Amino acid sequence: MDTLPKSACEACPQFNANGLKKLGINTTEFDFVVALAGNPNTGKSTVFNSLTGLKQHTGNWPGKTVTRAEGGFEYNNQKFKLVDLPGTYSLLSTSEDEEVARNFILFGKPSVTIIVVDASRLERNLNLVLQVLEITDRAVLCLNLIDEAERNNIEVDTRSLARDLGIPVVATSARYYRGIPELIQTVSDLANGRIHCKPHRIKNIPENIEKAVQKLSIELKKEFPEIPNSRWIAFRLLEGDRHIIELLRKGEFVI
Amino acid sequence: MKKDNIENLIALSNDLRWQIGDDFHDNLTEGIYADAAEIVSAAVHKKDEKGKLRFDARIDKIITSRTWGFPLMFLVLATVLWLTIVGANYPSAFLGNILLDHIHPFLKTLATNIGFPIWLNGFLIDGVYLAVAWVVAVMLPPMAIFFPLFTLLEDFGYLPRVAFNLDNLFKRAGAHGKQALTMSMGFGCNAAGVVATRIIDSPRERLIAIITNNFSLCNGRWPTQILIATIFVGAVVPQSFSGIASLAAVIGIAVLGMGFMFLTSWALSKTVLKGEVSTFNLELPPYRPPRFWKTIYTSLIDRTLIVLWRAIVFAAPAGAVIWLISNLHIGDITIAAWTIDLFNPFGFLLGLNGVILLAYVVAIPANEIVIPTILMLTVLVTGISGGAGAGVMFEADSANATGDILRSGGWTLLTAINLMLFSLLHNPCSTTIYTIYKETKSVKWTVVASILPVIMGFVVTFLVAQIWRILA
Amino acid sequence: MYSPVWALSLFIGISILLFLLFRPEKGWFWAIRKSNINNQKIVIEDILKLLYHSENQDKILNINDITTSLNEPESNILESVNEMARHSLILIEGENVRLSESGSDYALRMVRAHRLWEKFLAEKTGFAESDWHHIAEKKEHELTDQDTDYLASVLGNPQFDPHGDPIPTKTGKVADIKGIALSDLDVNHLGRIIHIKDKPDIIYKQILAENIHIGSQVRVVEKDSNRIVFHCEGEAFKLAPIIAANITVSLLKKEYISEDNVARLSMLNENEYATIIGISKEMRGESRRRLLDLGFVKGANVKVDLLNPLGEPKAFLIKGTSIALRNNQASKILIKKD
Repeated sequence: MDTLPKSACEACPQFNANGLKKLGINTTEFDFVVALAGNPNTGKSTVFNSLTGLKQHTGNWPGKTVTRAEGGFEYNNQKFKLVDLPGTYSLLSTSEDEEVARNFILFGKPSVTIIVVDASRLERNLNLVLQVLEITDRAVLCLNLIDEAERNNIEVDTRSLARDLGIPVVATSARYYRGIPELIQTVSDLANGRIHCKPHRIKNIPENIEKAVQKLSIELKKEFPEIPNSRWIAFRLLEGDRHIIELLRKGEFVI
Repeated sequence: MKKDNIENLIALSNDLRWQIGDDFHDNLTEGIYADAAEIVSAAVHKKDEKGKLRFDARIDKIITSRTWGFPLMFLVLATVLWLTIVGANYPSAFLGNILLDHIHPFLKTLATNIGFPIWLNGFLIDGVYLAVAWVVAVMLPPMAIFFPLFTLLEDFGYLPRVAFNLDNLFKRAGAHGKQALTMSMGFGCNAAGVVATRIIDSPRERLIAIITNNFSLCNGRWPTQILIATIFVGAVVPQSFSGIASLAAVIGIAVLGMGFMFLTSWALSKTVLKGEVSTFNLELPPYRPPRFWKTIYTSLIDRTLIVLWRAIVFAAPAGAVIWLISNLHIGDITIAAWTIDLFNPFGFLLGLNGVILLAYVVAIPANEIVIPTILMLTVLVTGISGGAGAGVMFEADSANATGDILRSGGWTLLTAINLMLFSLLHNPCSTTIYTIYKETKSVKWTVVASILPVIMGFVVTFLVAQIWRILA
Repeated sequence: MYSPVWALSLFIGISILLFLLFRPEKGWFWAIRKSNINNQKIVIEDILKLLYHSENQDKILNINDITTSLNEPESNILESVNEMARHSLILIEGENVRLSESGSDYALRMVRAHRLWEKFLAEKTGFAESDWHHIAEKKEHELTDQDTDYLASVLGNPQFDPHGDPIPTKTGKVADIKGIALSDLDVNHLGRIIHIKDKPDIIYKQILAENIHIGSQVRVVEKDSNRIVFHCEGEAFKLAPIIAANITVSLLKKEYISEDNVARLSMLNENEYATIIGISKEMRGESRRRLLDLGFVKGANVKVDLLNPLGEPKAFLIKGTSIALRNNQASKILIKKD
């Protein structure tokens, strides 16, 4: 009902509006898996709904999606499966929600991770974004609720943000379908390898920790030369993550 | 070989952890936020530094003020409940008329014409169909009003402020402010209230909220309370006060429920749940104008229909059981009569009777069918005229007629008051029990949540009955 | 045959009986159950611990000391002491009792189990701080060596328990605490609290009630034989020297940046701005992580956003979002007012 084209992108030749089909929950076979991560109350579920055409309840209330929701869409004859992860502030703690989100990004091997943030509260949301970027290097930042930020007189320079984070940034207002076509296009570009990311790595860490992380990370690389996120695994080992240690022991650690 | 390397790796990480000390998590989080601050300072420009909409700030000041905060909250809750209870009467009557008065006889005739045997006809139409129809007629309208209203408040951002205002009360009982909301949700439906506890992200407080949700009178129980209060409590005061007296009695029961909720929360947090992890955080999101139709649509799909569907799934077999116990015989009396005889002494001790206890046993799936079942069973055992036959639930045409049937079943004011108390304090309906299990994934807590209120119900009704009889 | 008075009396009678049977700690049911578990093992282990702690303070105990220190019938203790001597866990020299090498090992394992369990209670459960010691005191007798090793790995092989006591390693290594009693700290000297003794109970509870915790910096401002006054995280405390003696501090150099203008977030008034300088060590486990994740990190700016009609929780504006915290949380966040 609200899917009137409101963005310039929908009219531009690059975006193929006819190539978009919302698949709802009919996600039997698909070409790519896309994970949807983000803080609570950033409109993550609204983004999920406008991508899939589903009508999951989205309250103005942190922490609505507790179990993983799945949906899908088809764009240019490629099927994308979308997994809505529980909204979390961080991926470093031990709560059940965080474990679900963390393990899916780490082991679910999503082709692309969409990180939804609230444009008016960027600083707090970057906590999660920077953590996700330690794990995966194919991600897109969905700068949601951009209309609210504009009303608040907050200007976000998406180019500078994209440069600093090393991933594409798309400003959206999912409630009004604004920016969603660009988001779909970007996800498709990332999935097909048309965009390459150079994600930001956490810098401001005390020296003794940085040294420990490097030492571990080098040892990890010796064992598993192919893993892209040895730094994150090192973080988890220093934190004493039982799950990771167990996987290492069992030898099921293939990334 | 590889195995040794991995063990070395783990040992190395243990050593390094010792060297770094306890502050690893703190340092890492601080580092990430420092990075975030650098990035944001380059990319974000604020024209005005207030950081919060002036409009939002003004609403917040009123909603959380000492003077207006609480009156506003009670006004909103009262309005929502009033709209639900009063507003649901009309569609309920309409649905009842169609499903019970028209479709039911039609199906009966149809089944007879097709040549169904009488037992199958009774079992399917009088048992299964009638129970389902009853649940739909009584349950659907209030839920279809209550949930969208609640969801609109939620989407606007009002509910987190309610939790904020009330948290101190709940903190004293060892609970979380958000329990105010799951409790209010329980006034609509306990199963939905239990699902809503997901917003409480502290394990201990969430379990407390789940176990005590049943103390919120749900939609299935409001009509029972109102009917019994009107018939029995309204009758002991002069005619002109009867409305107010019965209303006060119903509100009294609801408030008593809140009292039990606080008491039980406190007791749980001090005893069995003492060791569960407890954290507190409450984010107050910015106000967002709800998108009216979308909200109504999703809340209907997400909450109302799902809950209704579960209720129907549980009500259908209950209807079958009710019909069977009233029509199958042990020797020359029905199973129902036999069970009622068995329950009668215990019922008398509680100031209730065997009919009520049996009705609560077979009506575990849905509180909505308690009164129709009681009426049917009363007619069955007393042999008075009225009703629609063995195993066929019915509702009398007026409160007076209902009162006459109940009085001929031996009901007194004590029976009525204890029924109201027992309706508040008994096990959750099977939909809720199932939901509790799904949410906690624990048999232990499901059993606690189911048994605890019944025991309290037994104790309270027992004490009331004895003291009543000593004083009377 | 039925009379409401009789029914009521019967009910009250049964209620009293149930209460006597099952009331916490003293109920008969628990007492019976307790006497059924292997009592001698517990007595032996308690004696081992007692000897270990005394020997650490260079005190030699005799049998009389042991019987007066433990809350057990004398006959039980004597029997256990004989049993211990038979297994050469202890050496009896006249009246004096001393630990043998194997006894010392055994005692260390008990201490390890006890302190690991306290650490577990602090990090992974919601039990109140004053309950930790008592729970660990029971649990230590039930843990096997495998249990303690598993526990240690789950907790990330911690070095210290929540009271600041070192946890012995599997091989019996104990890190030592270097420090002096707070009562011995001179006026105007700085120290950091590294240990709070959890015995005797009365004094420990008093310290907890004062909100004094490990990791805090203290500066003594006044001292005489009756009381010691010191500043700690923006608050002034007065303690009797006998209580202060239960707190151990490590000396800090004088030039160490003084944290005197430190306040607690709970003391921030409306319309004041402040910068967070850290979260107190008394905030542990999941609660601490949650606060950090919400943005209560060093250097963040904070102000009061909303007061509460009932006093608490108050909402604080931090990194653009309004987050409500209860007073007991806000009082553990250290700030510097701008």
